[in-house]
Amino acid sequence: MNCTELKQRSLQVGVALLLGLTSLAVTAQEKYPSRPIEFIVPWGPGGGADQLARKAAPLMEKELKVSLPVINVAGATGQTGLNKMLTSPADGYSISIFIADTLALQMESGTNWKLDDIVPAAIMIRQPSAFFVAENSPLKTWKDVEAEAKKRPLKVGVTGFGSADDLHVIYFNGKGLKLISVPFPKPSERYIAILGGHADLLYEQLGDVRSFLDGKQMRPVVIFADQRFPAFKDVPTGKELGHSIIINQFRAVAMKRGTDPQRVKAISDALAKVAASEEFKAYLKDQYADENSYIPASGAVDFMKHEFDTMKKYAPKK
Amino acid sequence: MEGILTNLAVGFGQVFQPVNFLMLVIGIILGLLVAVLPGLTLVMGVVLALPFTYSMDVIPAIILLTAMYVSGTYAGAWTSILFRVPGEPMDVPLLWDGYAMARKGQAAYALGWTLLSALFGGLVAATVMVLLAQPIARIALTFSTPEYFAILFFGLASVVSLGGSSLANALISLFFGLLIATVGVDDTYGAPRFTFGVQILSDGIDYLVVMVGAYGLGEVFMRLEQGFKSAPLEAVDSIRTRLPQLREVLARKGTFLRSSVIGIIIGLVPGAGATVASFLSYGVEGQYGKRWREMGNGIPEGIIAPQTAATASVGGAIVPLVTLGIPGSGATAIILGAFLLHGLQPGPQVFAASSNIVYSMFASVFVGIIVMCVIGYFAMKPMVRVLEFPEVIVSAYVMMLCLLGAFAARNNVTDVWLMVIFGIVGYLFERFKFPITPLVLGVILGPLAESSFMTTMISYGNDWTEFFTRPISGPIMAAAILTLLFPAIRHLRHEYSQRRIAAKGRGT
Repeated sequence: MNCTELKQRSLQVGVALLLGLTSLAVTAQEKYPSRPIEFIVPWGPGGGADQLARKAAPLMEKELKVSLPVINVAGATGQTGLNKMLTSPADGYSISIFIADTLALQMESGTNWKLDDIVPAAIMIRQPSAFFVAENSPLKTWKDVEAEAKKRPLKVGVTGFGSADDLHVIYFNGKGLKLISVPFPKPSERYIAILGGHADLLYEQLGDVRSFLDGKQMRPVVIFADQRFPAFKDVPTGKELGHSIIINQFRAVAMKRGTDPQRVKAISDALAKVAASEEFKAYLKDQYADENSYIPASGAVDFMKHEFDTMKKYAPKK
Repeated sequence: MEGILTNLAVGFGQVFQPVNFLMLVIGIILGLLVAVLPGLTLVMGVVLALPFTYSMDVIPAIILLTAMYVSGTYAGAWTSILFRVPGEPMDVPLLWDGYAMARKGQAAYALGWTLLSALFGGLVAATVMVLLAQPIARIALTFSTPEYFAILFFGLASVVSLGGSSLANALISLFFGLLIATVGVDDTYGAPRFTFGVQILSDGIDYLVVMVGAYGLGEVFMRLEQGFKSAPLEAVDSIRTRLPQLREVLARKGTFLRSSVIGIIIGLVPGAGATVASFLSYGVEGQYGKRWREMGNGIPEGIIAPQTAATASVGGAIVPLVTLGIPGSGATAIILGAFLLHGLQPGPQVFAASSNIVYSMFASVFVGIIVMCVIGYFAMKPMVRVLEFPEVIVSAYVMMLCLLGAFAARNNVTDVWLMVIFGIVGYLFERFKFPITPLVLGVILGPLAESSFMTTMISYGNDWTEFFTRPISGPIMAAAILTLLFPAIRHLRHEYSQRRIAAKGRGT
């Protein structure tokens, strides 16, 4: 970039900033997107939500022609990051990853946001989850886990209370197993907990712990899916064991309610192109995800409502 | 061993490829800039740099990010020493002795110690990282939430040795900091606390806003009160710009070694990183160092301890990343992201499968530290001259940096106002002889301590004795409690001896 270009660029940035500051009414008519879009990941770096954003952002940049800086704002089962997006103006310049764990919080009445506060632009990935043990754990199979959990309480590393992870624990508590949810919002702490023997079980998506599976440090004992996974032929599904609980770990891209529908469409269209790309398909495969993960904006709301109903079904009755 | 050296030689070969070396230098410079700017933290800087590495090959990408990480632990010391504005949270402990030395006209000398500490800590940790990666990775696995809490508790307790004259004031300041840290949505249960229905408060108060406000702006307010005519610095020119002599270094080898070990171990532990390492190392030095009595009055030990540990934590944090696939700190978590984006899964298998990448990363730590110190050496002289500028002008720049930093933290104007409020708080604290550091310490470490405390309680059935009965957390907790009791005991003994002298006086 030579000097005059640089000047022009900084002028453009300056003008964009001025426009943004002077009037929101003006910005509504301006070309969208004309400046970088903040892409919030409400989870720590390195986890599944983070990987999705970092995979999707550069592909979206090609479509939208602006940069999408990814920002990690972890905490409170994704609510800290969600709050960050909801406190930003509804101008489409702040989008966020939204995942099943955060949706599950809606079952509690205490949240300061509602599902109606957000507009999903697309569901990008759906992954089955599993319970894992460390490779060197004395518990080798689900049978071992069941037997042990009747004798003493087993600690399960989960992302946070009220999450889908926690619902599985509660479900098995109802079946007479003594399992305790221990929240570790940072993935690195969650994985250390299982590898270092500080927790007995880990609830996680297969793709998120792929390096530990490949490195023979952890293994699944039960996978919550309709069918067995080719890569883990010997691991039973929850269904086979008589536990039909399946809560998809989905990850969506969401925007703030009240954003101009044209802008939601712009993001949604870009995501459709991302989902169709070979690179993204390879990523889904790599993540042990459902290859038909993508759901466009039109179906995303219904899908989330359906998932939410499933969660409610398994939530403890109050 | 031979295998390691051969691999490392290949790694060095990679680093000295023109493109890779260029990336290294760019990374070092970016890291220095990020560290100097208060408000733009090292982790945020690495996050911002990540997208630029998407289109690169994996080796230059990893080298760029690693170089940024290395130098990001260094340059924040400059602003701490020269302006009393910590560029990074890890530089807060450098304020006492570093700035005190600068006020004594020894700014160049203080900067020299910083450089040497970063060099020593960085190289020791890098050597340990290369030679002992596999065995020490296991240390990371033995730490769990009770140990994290114990470390953080020790960090908070060290406030006593740093509180200055009044323990009561230090504790008031610390608890005020902890209170500020509780604002927002709670990490474990998601309950809103002290939000008063204001959306921005539910986001919490960023520690950067408090740190930058209380130190940077608070200092400017203090100077404003004195009409920008605070006691003139002793002539800068009278002190030669010099690196410490070998003799002086050897006299402090204990501090260097202790701090390196602390840095490496804290680096290994996931979720801690350079900031905790720096605070802890300063606390340990203030408690167990040879010259603990003089800490805070502008002695080199007060610079060596935090700086050595901060830079040493880099080598420590890289170990669990490459051996276990678990990042040891915020910055390594981003580097993990870069690995994943290039289709590499760090973990035990990487040493075998992609040893050239891992060893390029190792080599870039070595080369990075040296390049960083060379740049630091040449930057020292012009930097010190800044102190000759009129105070009004320097203060104006400090203020501008503070405002920018507060805005950059979350791109939110409310943060700028909060920063101004904390500037006033910092000024009032200073005015009424309340130390600011415990406040900032509470805001930075409080949330970390809280979440590890809560997780431990949940994990061990609300049994608080767990902290004291575990082999690693127990001794750390004991040391922390001793640290807290020590000033009280010292005070009692002092009174007792005074009384004896008085009694003797009556006897004769």
